[in-house]
Amino acid sequence: MKKLIFTLSLIFVVYSCGGKFDTIEDLSDEKYNLVDQNNSRINFPGIVKGKMAVVGYIFTNCPDICPLTTNNMRLIQERLKEEKINNIEFVSISFDPLVDKPGVLRKFAEIRNLDLSNWTFLTGEKNVIDSLLKKVQVFAVPGDSTVFQSGEKIIYYVHTDRIQIMDTDGKIRKNYPGSSINIDEIVEDIKSLAD
Amino acid sequence: MKYKIFVAAAIFFLLLTNLSIVYSQEIENSKSKIQIHDPWIRPAAQGSNTALFFVVENKSDKPDTIYSAKSSLSEVVEIHEMFKKGDMMGMRQVEFVVVLPNSKVEFKPRDIHVMLIKTKKDLKIGDEGEAVLLFKNAGAIKVKAEIRDMPKMNGMKH
Ligand SMILES: [Cu+2]
Repeated sequence: MKKLIFTLSLIFVVYSCGGKFDTIEDLSDEKYNLVDQNNSRINFPGIVKGKMAVVGYIFTNCPDICPLTTNNMRLIQERLKEEKINNIEFVSISFDPLVDKPGVLRKFAEIRNLDLSNWTFLTGEKNVIDSLLKKVQVFAVPGDSTVFQSGEKIIYYVHTDRIQIMDTDGKIRKNYPGSSINIDEIVEDIKSLAD
Repeated sequence: MKYKIFVAAAIFFLLLTNLSIVYSQEIENSKSKIQIHDPWIRPAAQGSNTALFFVVENKSDKPDTIYSAKSSLSEVVEIHEMFKKGDMMGMRQVEFVVVLPNSKVEFKPRDIHVMLIKTKKDLKIGDEGEAVLLFKNAGAIKVKAEIRDMPKMNGMKH
């Protein structure tokens, strides 16, 4: 009887672990031509091929949620470094490519003293970004805005609050709320997926 | 005639200063009863947006209201709140925030903030920035905020 319970619970554990990291989206056959913060042409997910990636979605005019998401990615990066877990890449993708030109993304990273040795900020043509967002199920719709006397307008997006883990094969394996992610949880998930 | 005008003006002036003394004393009283704790601002590159966070404590027995804020750090300053819609997040302006008697209101990430729109210079980590919060009763209260990535650990609640 004890043996049976043990076997059953083992099956349950194995099963639930498998379910935990089901493929959400498969990007392995995709090739999005984008540019990074240095205006270099990049193909995503090609740039992180063969490595696991922590991917976040932002727009730089965002005062709260996206800086939180970015800061959480920095905390994850620091934790992995401390625990000597290498080979993990970080990618922040802008869903506001008309505003977030490479220079804007570079300044966004610089003012936060981010370590870009394994972290890339991506932007690009709006139609390419839009098709990528659709694929990964990240949504951004214009909300409130600020209009200046000069006629300049800043649009604030209502957007999916998201960080994702993409495995070494370019498959999205888990979604997290970017601004309120549990750092311990994602670090543990990265460890189990790396095994 | 000239003399009469002079006397009238003098009386008027005295009244006015007296009134303003009484008025400013009242403001001083409410001011000391409104305290701002742990103010901080997120770093921001020039020309972008950021947010000011703090805790307001109202130690008086009357409610007070923050209805506006000013700062030379950015072109526009507004009070905003975040809202959740499924797994999406958005932001909207609010006209005022009430601080009830003997209570605290936390302007914190994912909740409410004073938004600094279109910053006039780089706000770098470790620097300081100033803003003025405008209260209905307490008047203008100046805050000096540290530029940092996240709140001080002791200010965080879990
Ligand atoms: Cu705001």
